[in-house]
Amino acid sequence: MEQAETSRAPSSPAVEVDRLNVSYGEFQAVKDLTFRVEQGELYALLGTNGAGKTSALEVIEGHRKASSGTVQVFGTSPADRRAVRPRMGIMLQESGFSADLTAAESVRLIGRLSGRSDSVDRVLGIVGLTHKAATRVGQMSGGEKRRLDFATAVYGRPELIFLDEPTTGLDIQSRDALWAAVGELRDNGSTVILTTHYLEEAQQYADRIGLMHQGTLRSQGTVPELTRTLPAAIQFSLSPGAPVPPFGTTGPAGPAYQIETFELQADLKRLLDWADLHDVDLHGLSAAPTRLDDVFRAIETDPVPTPTR
Amino acid sequence: MLPIAYSELAQIFRNRAVLISNLIMPLAVAAFFIYSRDTFTEIGSLGYIAAVLVFTVGAFSLYTTAVTTLSARRQDLFLKRLRSTAAGDAAILSGLTLPVALTALVQVVVILGVFAGVSGRPADVALLVVAILATFAMMLALALATAGLTGSPEQAQVTTLPISLVTIAVTSWVGITGTESLTLLKRLLPGGSATELIVNTWNGGVPLSDSLPLLGPTFGWVVVAVVLALRLFRWEPRR
Repeated sequence: MEQAETSRAPSSPAVEVDRLNVSYGEFQAVKDLTFRVEQGELYALLGTNGAGKTSALEVIEGHRKASSGTVQVFGTSPADRRAVRPRMGIMLQESGFSADLTAAESVRLIGRLSGRSDSVDRVLGIVGLTHKAATRVGQMSGGEKRRLDFATAVYGRPELIFLDEPTTGLDIQSRDALWAAVGELRDNGSTVILTTHYLEEAQQYADRIGLMHQGTLRSQGTVPELTRTLPAAIQFSLSPGAPVPPFGTTGPAGPAYQIETFELQADLKRLLDWADLHDVDLHGLSAAPTRLDDVFRAIETDPVPTPTR
Repeated sequence: MLPIAYSELAQIFRNRAVLISNLIMPLAVAAFFIYSRDTFTEIGSLGYIAAVLVFTVGAFSLYTTAVTTLSARRQDLFLKRLRSTAAGDAAILSGLTLPVALTALVQVVVILGVFAGVSGRPADVALLVVAILATFAMMLALALATAGLTGSPEQAQVTTLPISLVTIAVTSWVGITGTESLTLLKRLLPGGSATELIVNTWNGGVPLSDSLPLLGPTFGWVVVAVVLALRLFRWEPRR
Protein backbone atom coordinates (compact mmCIF):
# COMPACT_ATOMS: atom_id res chain seq x y z
CA MET A 1 0.00 0.00 0.00
CA GLU A 2 1.20 3.47 -0.76
CA GLN A 3 0.67 6.00 1.93
CA ALA A 4 2.67 8.61 0.17
CA GLU A 5 3.80 9.41 -3.32
CA THR A 6 5.44 6.30 -4.54
CA SER A 7 8.58 6.56 -6.56
CA ARG A 8 7.51 5.45 -10.03
CA ALA A 9 9.23 5.14 -13.31
CA PRO A 10 9.55 8.61 -14.79
CA SER A 11 6.82 8.51 -17.44
CA SER A 12 4.45 11.21 -18.58
CA PRO A 13 1.37 10.81 -16.41
CA ALA A 14 -2.13 11.39 -17.73
CA VAL A 15 -3.07 13.20 -14.53
CA GLU A 16 -0.87 14.66 -11.84
CA VAL A 17 -2.35 16.16 -8.68
CA ASP A 18 -0.02 17.90 -6.27
CA ARG A 19 -1.07 19.17 -2.85
CA LEU A 20 -4.57 20.01 -4.02
CA ASN A 21 -6.82 21.87 -1.63
CA VAL A 22 -10.46 22.77 -2.29
CA SER A 23 -12.38 24.92 0.16
CA TYR A 24 -15.94 26.20 0.29
CA GLY A 25 -15.75 29.15 2.64
CA GLU A 26 -14.52 27.74 5.94
CA PHE A 27 -15.12 24.14 4.92
CA GLN A 28 -12.15 22.35 3.44
CA ALA A 29 -13.47 19.63 1.14
CA VAL A 30 -10.10 18.42 -0.15
CA LYS A 31 -6.94 18.59 1.93
CA ASP A 32 -3.45 18.32 0.48
CA LEU A 33 -4.37 15.67 -2.09
CA THR A 34 -1.49 14.23 -4.08
CA PHE A 35 -1.61 11.41 -6.60
CA ARG A 36 -0.89 10.66 -10.22
CA VAL A 37 -2.56 8.49 -12.81
CA GLU A 38 -0.38 6.91 -15.44
CA GLN A 39 -1.40 6.73 -19.08
CA GLY A 40 -3.42 3.61 -19.81
CA GLU A 41 -4.25 3.08 -16.15
CA LEU A 42 -7.70 2.68 -14.60
CA TYR A 43 -7.56 4.56 -11.30
CA ALA A 44 -10.54 4.36 -8.94
CA LEU A 45 -11.04 7.18 -6.49
CA LEU A 46 -13.23 5.83 -3.73
CA GLY A 47 -14.47 7.39 -0.56
CA THR A 48 -17.25 7.84 1.90
CA ASN A 49 -20.03 10.32 1.20
CA GLY A 50 -18.55 13.80 1.52
CA ALA A 51 -14.99 12.45 1.29
CA GLY A 52 -14.14 15.13 -1.26
CA LYS A 53 -13.74 12.91 -4.31
CA THR A 54 -16.30 14.77 -6.43
CA SER A 55 -14.68 18.12 -5.54
CA ALA A 56 -11.27 16.70 -6.44
CA LEU A 57 -12.62 15.21 -9.64
CA GLU A 58 -14.26 18.50 -10.64
CA VAL A 59 -10.93 20.30 -10.32
CA ILE A 60 -9.19 17.63 -12.38
CA GLU A 61 -11.93 17.85 -15.01
CA GLY A 62 -11.58 21.63 -15.09
CA HIS A 63 -15.04 22.37 -13.73
CA ARG A 64 -13.79 23.96 -10.53
CA LYS A 65 -10.80 26.03 -9.45
CA ALA A 66 -8.42 24.69 -6.86
CA SER A 67 -8.03 26.73 -3.68
CA SER A 68 -4.36 25.81 -3.79
CA GLY A 69 -2.11 23.17 -5.27
CA THR A 70 -1.70 22.15 -8.88
CA VAL A 71 -3.42 19.77 -11.24
CA GLN A 72 -2.05 18.83 -14.62
CA VAL A 73 -3.79 16.79 -17.28
CA PHE A 74 -1.44 15.62 -20.02
CA GLY A 75 0.96 18.25 -18.72
CA THR A 76 -1.54 21.07 -19.13
CA SER A 77 -3.85 22.88 -16.75
CA PRO A 78 -7.38 21.40 -17.03
CA ALA A 79 -8.70 24.97 -17.04
CA ASP A 80 -7.37 25.23 -20.60
CA ARG A 81 -10.46 23.60 -22.03
CA ARG A 82 -9.53 24.13 -25.66
CA ALA A 83 -6.27 22.20 -25.17
CA VAL A 84 -7.41 19.46 -22.82
CA ARG A 85 -11.06 18.69 -23.52
CA PRO A 86 -10.59 17.19 -26.99
CA ARG A 87 -8.50 14.54 -25.25
CA MET A 88 -10.94 13.79 -22.44
CA GLY A 89 -14.47 12.43 -22.16
CA ILE A 90 -16.49 13.17 -19.04
CA MET A 91 -19.39 11.15 -17.72
CA LEU A 92 -21.00 13.37 -15.11
CA GLN A 93 -22.59 12.07 -11.93
CA GLU A 94 -25.93 13.48 -13.07
CA SER A 95 -27.01 13.44 -16.67
CA GLY A 96 -27.30 17.11 -17.67
CA PHE A 97 -29.15 16.66 -20.91
CA SER A 98 -31.85 18.84 -22.37
CA ALA A 99 -35.21 17.11 -22.22
CA ASP A 100 -36.32 18.44 -25.61
CA LEU A 101 -33.37 17.07 -27.61
CA THR A 102 -33.31 13.51 -28.89
CA ALA A 103 -30.67 10.99 -27.87
CA ALA A 104 -28.93 11.28 -31.25
CA GLU A 105 -29.04 15.09 -31.17
CA SER A 106 -27.58 15.13 -27.66
CA VAL A 107 -24.68 12.87 -28.62
CA ARG A 108 -24.09 14.81 -31.84
CA LEU A 109 -24.07 18.17 -30.02
CA ILE A 110 -21.77 17.15 -27.19
CA GLY A 111 -19.61 15.14 -29.57
CA ARG A 112 -19.12 18.04 -31.96
CA LEU A 113 -18.33 20.40 -29.09
CA SER A 114 -15.81 17.93 -27.69
CA GLY A 115 -13.55 18.49 -30.69
CA ARG A 116 -13.46 14.78 -31.55
CA SER A 117 -15.10 12.99 -34.43
CA ASP A 118 -17.04 9.77 -34.37
CA SER A 119 -20.24 8.17 -35.58
CA VAL A 120 -23.34 8.89 -33.49
CA ASP A 121 -24.74 5.49 -34.50
CA ARG A 122 -21.58 3.76 -33.30
CA VAL A 123 -21.61 5.24 -29.81
CA LEU A 124 -25.36 4.76 -29.42
CA GLY A 125 -24.79 1.15 -30.48
CA ILE A 126 -22.16 0.67 -27.76
CA VAL A 127 -24.71 1.52 -25.08
CA GLY A 128 -27.63 -0.24 -26.77
CA LEU A 129 -29.57 2.93 -27.51
CA THR A 130 -29.72 2.72 -31.30
CA HIS A 131 -33.48 2.18 -31.15
CA LYS A 132 -33.82 5.28 -28.97
CA ALA A 133 -31.90 7.59 -31.32
CA ALA A 134 -35.00 9.62 -32.19
CA THR A 135 -36.45 9.60 -28.65
CA ARG A 136 -36.35 12.82 -26.69
CA VAL A 137 -34.22 12.63 -23.56
CA GLY A 138 -37.19 13.72 -21.45
CA GLN A 139 -38.94 10.48 -22.40
CA MET A 140 -35.99 8.25 -21.48
CA SER A 141 -35.57 6.32 -18.23
CA GLY A 142 -32.87 7.13 -15.68
CA GLY A 143 -30.80 4.13 -16.76
CA GLU A 144 -31.06 5.12 -20.42
CA LYS A 145 -29.89 8.63 -19.57
CA ARG A 146 -26.85 7.17 -17.77
CA ARG A 147 -26.07 5.12 -20.87
CA LEU A 148 -26.49 8.19 -23.03
CA ASP A 149 -24.10 10.00 -20.71
CA PHE A 150 -21.56 7.23 -21.18
CA ALA A 151 -22.05 7.42 -24.96
CA THR A 152 -21.13 11.12 -24.96
CA ALA A 153 -18.08 10.43 -22.76
CA VAL A 154 -16.66 7.80 -25.12
CA TYR A 155 -17.54 9.69 -28.33
CA GLY A 156 -14.41 9.89 -30.42
CA ARG A 157 -12.49 7.43 -28.22
CA PRO A 158 -10.87 10.01 -25.89
CA GLU A 159 -7.47 9.38 -24.34
CA LEU A 160 -8.74 10.10 -20.83
CA ILE A 161 -12.22 9.22 -19.57
CA PHE A 162 -13.79 10.31 -16.31
CA LEU A 163 -16.53 7.99 -15.09
CA ASP A 164 -18.38 9.43 -12.10
CA GLU A 165 -20.47 6.62 -10.64
CA PRO A 166 -21.10 5.23 -14.12
CA THR A 167 -23.20 2.20 -13.27
CA THR A 168 -25.57 3.75 -10.75
CA GLY A 169 -29.10 2.93 -11.88
CA LEU A 170 -28.01 0.48 -14.58
CA ASP A 171 -29.27 -3.08 -14.90
CA ILE A 172 -26.76 -5.92 -15.01
CA GLN A 173 -26.73 -6.22 -18.81
CA SER A 174 -26.07 -2.50 -19.18
CA ARG A 175 -23.28 -2.68 -16.60
CA ASP A 176 -21.65 -5.54 -18.45
CA ALA A 177 -21.94 -3.64 -21.75
CA LEU A 178 -20.45 -0.54 -20.17
CA TRP A 179 -17.48 -2.39 -18.69
CA ALA A 180 -16.93 -4.20 -21.99
CA ALA A 181 -16.77 -0.83 -23.72
CA VAL A 182 -14.36 0.49 -21.08
CA GLY A 183 -12.22 -2.61 -21.62
CA GLU A 184 -12.14 -1.97 -25.35
CA LEU A 185 -11.10 1.64 -24.80
CA ARG A 186 -8.36 0.56 -22.42
CA ASP A 187 -7.12 -1.92 -24.99
CA ASN A 188 -6.64 1.09 -27.24
CA GLY A 189 -4.66 2.88 -24.54
CA SER A 190 -7.28 5.10 -22.90
CA THR A 191 -6.80 6.15 -19.29
CA VAL A 192 -9.83 5.94 -17.00
CA ILE A 193 -10.54 7.69 -13.72
CA LEU A 194 -13.46 6.12 -11.92
CA THR A 195 -15.51 6.95 -8.87
CA THR A 196 -18.03 4.43 -7.70
CA HIS A 197 -19.86 3.21 -4.63
CA TYR A 198 -19.69 -0.34 -5.96
CA LEU A 199 -16.46 -1.57 -4.39
CA GLU A 200 -16.62 -4.85 -6.25
CA GLU A 201 -16.39 -2.94 -9.55
CA ALA A 202 -13.32 -1.07 -8.36
CA GLN A 203 -11.84 -4.31 -7.08
CA GLN A 204 -12.48 -6.03 -10.41
CA TYR A 205 -11.52 -3.33 -12.90
CA ALA A 206 -9.16 -0.83 -11.27
CA ASP A 207 -5.39 -1.06 -11.59
CA ARG A 208 -5.02 1.13 -8.53
CA ILE A 209 -7.40 2.52 -5.98
CA GLY A 210 -7.22 5.70 -3.94
CA LEU A 211 -9.26 5.80 -0.75
CA MET A 212 -10.43 9.21 0.43
CA HIS A 213 -12.00 10.11 3.74
CA GLN A 214 -12.77 13.55 5.13
CA GLY A 215 -10.94 15.30 2.31
CA THR A 216 -7.68 13.38 2.54
CA LEU A 217 -6.27 10.48 0.58
CA ARG A 218 -5.87 7.89 3.32
CA SER A 219 -4.21 5.23 1.20
CA GLN A 220 -3.76 4.09 -2.36
CA GLY A 221 -2.43 1.09 -4.20
CA THR A 222 -3.45 -2.08 -5.99
CA VAL A 223 -6.12 -4.25 -4.39
CA PRO A 224 -3.54 -6.71 -2.97
CA GLU A 225 -1.49 -3.79 -1.64
CA LEU A 226 -4.51 -2.32 0.08
CA THR A 227 -5.92 -5.54 1.50
CA ARG A 228 -2.64 -6.79 2.89
CA THR A 229 -2.61 -3.87 5.34
CA LEU A 230 -5.37 -5.48 7.36
CA PRO A 231 -5.33 -8.96 8.86
CA ALA A 232 -7.52 -11.74 7.49
CA ALA A 233 -9.89 -13.43 9.92
CA ILE A 234 -10.36 -17.06 10.98
CA GLN A 235 -13.59 -17.60 12.89
CA PHE A 236 -14.95 -20.62 14.75
CA SER A 237 -17.04 -21.64 17.74
CA LEU A 238 -16.08 -24.08 20.50
CA SER A 239 -18.09 -26.57 22.52
CA PRO A 240 -18.60 -25.57 26.17
CA GLY A 241 -15.52 -26.40 28.24
CA ALA A 242 -13.27 -26.94 25.22
CA PRO A 243 -9.78 -25.44 25.43
CA VAL A 244 -9.13 -22.21 23.57
CA PRO A 245 -6.30 -22.11 21.02
CA PRO A 246 -3.40 -20.37 22.75
CA PHE A 247 -2.31 -18.20 19.80
CA GLY A 248 -3.90 -14.85 19.01
CA THR A 249 -7.44 -15.90 19.71
CA THR A 250 -9.90 -13.20 20.67
CA GLY A 251 -13.44 -13.60 21.80
CA PRO A 252 -15.77 -15.07 22.06
CA ALA A 253 -17.67 -12.27 20.37
CA GLY A 254 -21.13 -13.74 20.36
CA PRO A 255 -20.72 -17.48 19.79
CA ALA A 256 -17.50 -17.13 17.75
CA TYR A 257 -13.82 -16.87 18.45
CA GLN A 258 -11.57 -15.07 16.02
CA ILE A 259 -7.94 -15.18 15.01
CA GLU A 260 -6.66 -12.18 13.03
CA THR A 261 -3.71 -13.03 10.85
CA PHE A 262 -1.49 -11.72 8.09
CA GLU A 263 -0.46 -15.34 7.32
CA LEU A 264 -3.82 -16.88 6.65
CA GLN A 265 -2.70 -20.21 5.22
CA ALA A 266 0.00 -20.86 7.82
CA ASP A 267 -2.15 -19.88 10.79
CA LEU A 268 -5.10 -21.88 9.51
CA LYS A 269 -2.88 -24.97 9.24
CA ARG A 270 -1.54 -24.28 12.74
CA LEU A 271 -5.08 -24.04 14.12
CA LEU A 272 -6.19 -27.24 12.43
CA ASP A 273 -3.09 -29.07 13.70
CA TRP A 274 -3.76 -27.81 17.21
CA ALA A 275 -7.42 -28.87 17.00
CA ASP A 276 -6.36 -32.36 15.83
CA LEU A 277 -3.84 -32.68 18.61
CA HIS A 278 -6.32 -31.66 21.30
CA ASP A 279 -9.29 -33.37 19.71
CA VAL A 280 -11.25 -30.10 19.59
CA ASP A 281 -14.14 -29.52 17.19
CA LEU A 282 -14.04 -26.11 15.48
CA HIS A 283 -17.68 -25.42 14.76
CA GLY A 284 -18.57 -23.17 11.84
CA LEU A 285 -14.93 -22.75 10.89
CA SER A 286 -14.38 -20.03 8.29
CA ALA A 287 -11.27 -18.33 6.94
CA ALA A 288 -11.77 -15.19 4.88
CA PRO A 289 -9.12 -13.04 3.22
CA THR A 290 -9.31 -9.30 3.73
CA ARG A 291 -11.65 -7.61 1.27
CA LEU A 292 -11.66 -4.09 -0.04
CA ASP A 293 -14.80 -3.49 2.03
CA ASP A 294 -12.78 -4.20 5.18
CA VAL A 295 -10.11 -1.68 4.19
CA PHE A 296 -12.81 0.84 3.34
CA ARG A 297 -14.53 0.36 6.72
CA ALA A 298 -11.24 0.55 8.58
CA ILE A 299 -10.45 3.87 6.94
CA GLU A 300 -13.95 5.13 7.62
CA THR A 301 -13.60 4.45 11.34
CA ASP A 302 -9.99 5.61 11.58
CA PRO A 303 -10.09 9.05 13.18
CA VAL A 304 -6.45 9.80 12.42
CA PRO A 305 -5.63 10.63 8.80
CA THR A 306 -2.64 8.78 7.47
CA PRO A 307 -0.20 11.24 5.93
CA THR A 308 -0.50 11.23 2.16
CA ARG A 309 2.91 12.70 1.47
CA MET B 1 -21.33 28.28 -30.86
CA LEU B 2 -23.45 27.39 -33.88
CA PRO B 3 -24.17 23.78 -32.85
CA ILE B 4 -25.39 25.07 -29.48
CA ALA B 5 -27.49 27.77 -31.17
CA TYR B 6 -29.01 25.23 -33.55
CA SER B 7 -29.94 22.86 -30.73
CA GLU B 8 -31.34 25.74 -28.71
CA LEU B 9 -33.51 26.84 -31.62
CA ALA B 10 -34.84 23.30 -31.95
CA GLN B 11 -35.68 23.29 -28.25
CA ILE B 12 -37.54 26.60 -28.46
CA PHE B 13 -39.77 25.30 -31.22
CA ARG B 14 -40.36 21.98 -29.40
CA ASN B 15 -41.34 23.51 -26.07
CA ARG B 16 -44.91 24.73 -26.22
CA ALA B 17 -44.72 26.81 -23.04
CA VAL B 18 -41.67 28.70 -24.29
CA LEU B 19 -43.20 29.06 -27.72
CA ILE B 20 -46.33 30.68 -26.29
CA SER B 21 -44.51 33.06 -23.95
CA ASN B 22 -41.78 33.80 -26.46
CA LEU B 23 -43.82 34.23 -29.63
CA ILE B 24 -47.55 34.31 -29.10
CA MET B 25 -47.80 36.66 -26.09
CA PRO B 26 -45.71 39.51 -27.55
CA LEU B 27 -47.51 39.16 -30.88
CA ALA B 28 -50.88 39.43 -29.12
CA VAL B 29 -49.79 42.52 -27.19
CA ALA B 30 -48.37 44.05 -30.36
CA ALA B 31 -51.60 43.34 -32.25
CA PHE B 32 -53.54 45.16 -29.52
CA PHE B 33 -51.30 48.24 -29.68
CA ILE B 34 -51.36 48.38 -33.46
CA TYR B 35 -55.15 47.90 -33.54
CA SER B 36 -55.61 50.69 -30.95
CA ARG B 37 -52.96 52.94 -32.50
CA ASP B 38 -55.27 55.94 -32.80
CA THR B 39 -55.96 55.94 -29.08
CA PHE B 40 -52.30 55.56 -28.18
CA THR B 41 -51.23 58.18 -30.70
CA GLU B 42 -53.51 60.66 -28.93
CA ILE B 43 -51.90 59.79 -25.58
CA GLY B 44 -48.33 59.81 -26.93
CA SER B 45 -47.27 59.53 -30.55
CA LEU B 46 -46.59 56.93 -33.23
CA GLY B 47 -43.02 56.85 -31.92
CA TYR B 48 -44.35 56.00 -28.48
CA ILE B 49 -46.25 53.03 -29.90
CA ALA B 50 -43.10 51.91 -31.73
CA ALA B 51 -41.12 52.12 -28.47
CA VAL B 52 -43.76 50.13 -26.59
CA LEU B 53 -43.69 47.48 -29.33
CA VAL B 54 -39.88 47.24 -29.18
CA PHE B 55 -39.86 46.97 -25.38
CA THR B 56 -42.72 44.47 -25.31
CA VAL B 57 -40.65 42.17 -27.50
CA GLY B 58 -37.46 43.09 -25.63
CA ALA B 59 -38.96 42.42 -22.21
CA PHE B 60 -40.92 39.25 -22.96
CA SER B 61 -39.50 37.57 -26.05
CA LEU B 62 -35.90 38.41 -25.27
CA TYR B 63 -35.31 39.21 -21.62
CA THR B 64 -37.76 36.85 -19.91
CA THR B 65 -37.14 33.99 -22.33
CA ALA B 66 -33.36 34.34 -22.00
CA VAL B 67 -33.54 34.28 -18.19
CA THR B 68 -35.92 31.30 -18.27
CA THR B 69 -33.74 29.45 -20.75
CA LEU B 70 -30.48 30.02 -18.89
CA SER B 71 -31.93 29.06 -15.51
CA ALA B 72 -33.57 25.96 -17.01
CA ARG B 73 -30.33 24.87 -18.67
CA ARG B 74 -28.46 25.40 -15.41
CA GLN B 75 -31.05 23.52 -13.37
CA ASP B 76 -30.89 20.58 -15.83
CA LEU B 77 -27.08 20.68 -15.54
CA PHE B 78 -27.01 21.28 -19.29
CA LEU B 79 -24.67 24.24 -18.73
CA LYS B 80 -22.29 21.98 -16.84
CA ARG B 81 -22.59 19.42 -19.62
CA LEU B 82 -21.68 22.05 -22.22
CA ARG B 83 -18.76 23.15 -20.06
CA SER B 84 -17.50 19.56 -20.05
CA THR B 85 -16.71 20.05 -23.74
CA ALA B 86 -14.04 22.15 -25.45
CA ALA B 87 -16.49 25.04 -25.97
CA GLY B 88 -15.56 28.27 -24.18
CA ASP B 89 -17.89 30.11 -21.81
CA ALA B 90 -18.54 32.96 -24.25
CA ALA B 91 -19.38 30.50 -27.04
CA ILE B 92 -21.78 28.62 -24.75
CA LEU B 93 -23.62 31.76 -23.64
CA SER B 94 -23.69 33.14 -27.17
CA GLY B 95 -25.01 29.85 -28.51
CA LEU B 96 -27.74 29.66 -25.89
CA THR B 97 -28.91 33.25 -26.32
CA LEU B 98 -28.46 33.70 -30.06
CA PRO B 99 -31.70 31.93 -31.07
CA VAL B 100 -33.67 33.89 -28.47
CA ALA B 101 -32.14 37.14 -29.72
CA LEU B 102 -32.70 36.29 -33.37
CA THR B 103 -36.29 35.24 -32.72
CA ALA B 104 -36.92 38.52 -30.93
CA LEU B 105 -35.25 40.44 -33.75
CA VAL B 106 -37.41 38.75 -36.39
CA GLN B 107 -40.49 39.46 -34.29
CA VAL B 108 -39.71 43.13 -33.89
CA VAL B 109 -38.97 43.48 -37.61
CA VAL B 110 -42.30 41.86 -38.50
CA ILE B 111 -44.27 43.83 -35.90
CA LEU B 112 -42.73 47.19 -36.78
CA GLY B 113 -43.10 46.33 -40.47
CA VAL B 114 -46.82 45.84 -39.98
CA PHE B 115 -47.00 48.98 -37.84
CA ALA B 116 -45.16 50.99 -40.50
CA GLY B 117 -47.49 49.54 -43.12
CA VAL B 118 -50.61 50.83 -41.39
CA SER B 119 -49.26 54.08 -39.92
CA GLY B 120 -46.41 55.21 -42.15
CA ARG B 121 -42.68 54.44 -42.20
CA PRO B 122 -40.25 55.78 -39.57
CA ALA B 123 -38.29 58.95 -40.22
CA ASP B 124 -34.83 57.46 -39.71
CA VAL B 125 -34.75 53.70 -40.34
CA ALA B 126 -30.98 53.33 -39.93
CA LEU B 127 -30.90 54.98 -36.51
CA LEU B 128 -34.01 53.04 -35.51
CA VAL B 129 -32.14 49.82 -36.28
CA VAL B 130 -29.23 51.00 -34.12
CA ALA B 131 -31.64 51.92 -31.32
CA ILE B 132 -33.31 48.49 -31.45
CA LEU B 133 -29.95 46.68 -31.42
CA ALA B 134 -28.77 48.76 -28.47
CA THR B 135 -32.03 48.08 -26.63
CA PHE B 136 -31.72 44.34 -27.26
CA ALA B 137 -28.08 44.36 -26.15
CA MET B 138 -29.18 45.99 -22.90
CA MET B 139 -32.03 43.51 -22.34
CA LEU B 140 -29.75 40.56 -23.09
CA ALA B 141 -27.07 41.79 -20.68
CA LEU B 142 -29.74 42.34 -18.02
CA ALA B 143 -30.95 38.79 -18.70
CA LEU B 144 -27.47 37.38 -18.01
CA ALA B 145 -27.32 39.29 -14.73
CA THR B 146 -30.85 38.28 -13.72
CA ALA B 147 -30.15 34.63 -14.58
CA GLY B 148 -27.47 34.72 -11.90
CA LEU B 149 -30.15 35.46 -9.32
CA THR B 150 -32.64 32.95 -10.69
CA GLY B 151 -32.48 29.40 -9.42
CA SER B 152 -35.07 27.81 -11.65
CA PRO B 153 -37.34 28.56 -14.61
CA GLU B 154 -40.22 28.82 -12.15
CA GLN B 155 -38.35 31.49 -10.19
CA ALA B 156 -37.77 33.34 -13.47
CA GLN B 157 -41.48 34.21 -13.52
CA VAL B 158 -40.82 36.32 -10.41
CA THR B 159 -37.24 37.51 -10.86
CA THR B 160 -37.90 38.89 -14.34
CA LEU B 161 -40.89 40.97 -13.21
CA PRO B 162 -39.02 43.99 -11.79
CA ILE B 163 -36.97 44.74 -14.89
CA SER B 164 -39.79 43.82 -17.31
CA LEU B 165 -42.26 46.06 -15.51
CA VAL B 166 -39.78 48.88 -14.91
CA THR B 167 -38.66 49.05 -18.54
CA ILE B 168 -42.23 48.95 -19.85
CA ALA B 169 -43.28 51.57 -17.28
CA VAL B 170 -40.31 53.79 -18.14
CA THR B 171 -41.16 53.42 -21.84
CA SER B 172 -44.70 54.60 -21.20
CA TRP B 173 -43.58 57.40 -18.90
CA VAL B 174 -40.94 58.73 -21.29
CA GLY B 175 -43.03 58.00 -24.40
CA ILE B 176 -46.08 59.85 -23.08
CA THR B 177 -44.54 62.72 -21.09
CA GLY B 178 -41.31 63.22 -23.05
CA THR B 179 -38.04 64.28 -21.47
CA GLU B 180 -38.54 68.01 -21.14
CA SER B 181 -38.93 67.60 -17.39
CA LEU B 182 -36.78 65.34 -15.20
CA THR B 183 -34.58 64.87 -18.24
CA LEU B 184 -31.56 63.30 -16.53
CA LEU B 185 -33.61 60.91 -14.40
CA LYS B 186 -35.71 59.73 -17.34
CA ARG B 187 -32.68 59.19 -19.53
CA LEU B 188 -30.74 57.31 -16.86
CA LEU B 189 -33.55 54.89 -16.02
CA PRO B 190 -33.27 51.54 -17.85
CA GLY B 191 -34.94 51.99 -21.21
CA GLY B 192 -35.43 55.75 -20.79
CA SER B 193 -32.92 57.03 -23.33
CA ALA B 194 -33.63 54.06 -25.63
CA THR B 195 -37.31 54.98 -25.64
CA GLU B 196 -36.51 58.62 -26.41
CA LEU B 197 -34.25 57.53 -29.24
CA ILE B 198 -36.87 55.21 -30.75
CA VAL B 199 -39.52 57.97 -30.49
CA ASN B 200 -37.14 60.42 -32.19
CA THR B 201 -36.24 58.02 -35.00
CA TRP B 202 -39.87 57.16 -35.66
CA ASN B 203 -41.38 60.62 -35.40
CA GLY B 204 -38.41 62.52 -36.85
CA GLY B 205 -37.60 66.18 -36.36
CA VAL B 206 -34.66 65.69 -33.99
CA PRO B 207 -31.13 66.30 -35.30
CA LEU B 208 -28.79 63.31 -35.37
CA SER B 209 -26.37 65.14 -33.07
CA ASP B 210 -29.09 65.29 -30.41
CA SER B 211 -30.18 61.66 -30.88
CA LEU B 212 -26.84 59.87 -30.98
CA PRO B 213 -25.80 60.71 -27.38
CA LEU B 214 -28.96 58.92 -26.27
CA LEU B 215 -27.16 55.65 -27.00
CA GLY B 216 -24.79 56.43 -24.11
CA PRO B 217 -27.04 55.54 -21.15
CA THR B 218 -28.21 52.38 -22.93
CA PHE B 219 -24.65 51.19 -23.40
CA GLY B 220 -23.99 52.26 -19.81
CA TRP B 221 -26.69 49.79 -18.73
CA VAL B 222 -25.06 47.13 -20.88
CA VAL B 223 -21.78 47.67 -19.03
CA VAL B 224 -23.48 47.65 -15.61
CA ALA B 225 -25.41 44.48 -16.48
CA VAL B 226 -22.33 42.70 -17.83
CA VAL B 227 -20.34 43.56 -14.68
CA LEU B 228 -23.23 42.26 -12.57
CA ALA B 229 -23.47 39.13 -14.73
CA LEU B 230 -19.76 38.44 -14.31
CA ARG B 231 -20.23 38.56 -10.55
CA LEU B 232 -23.59 36.82 -10.31
CA PHE B 233 -23.76 34.26 -13.09
CA ARG B 234 -23.46 30.65 -12.00
CA TRP B 235 -22.92 27.64 -14.21
CA GLU B 236 -24.26 25.08 -11.76
CA PRO B 237 -27.20 25.03 -9.37
CA ARG B 238 -26.52 25.93 -5.77
CA ARG B 239 -26.13 22.78 -3.66
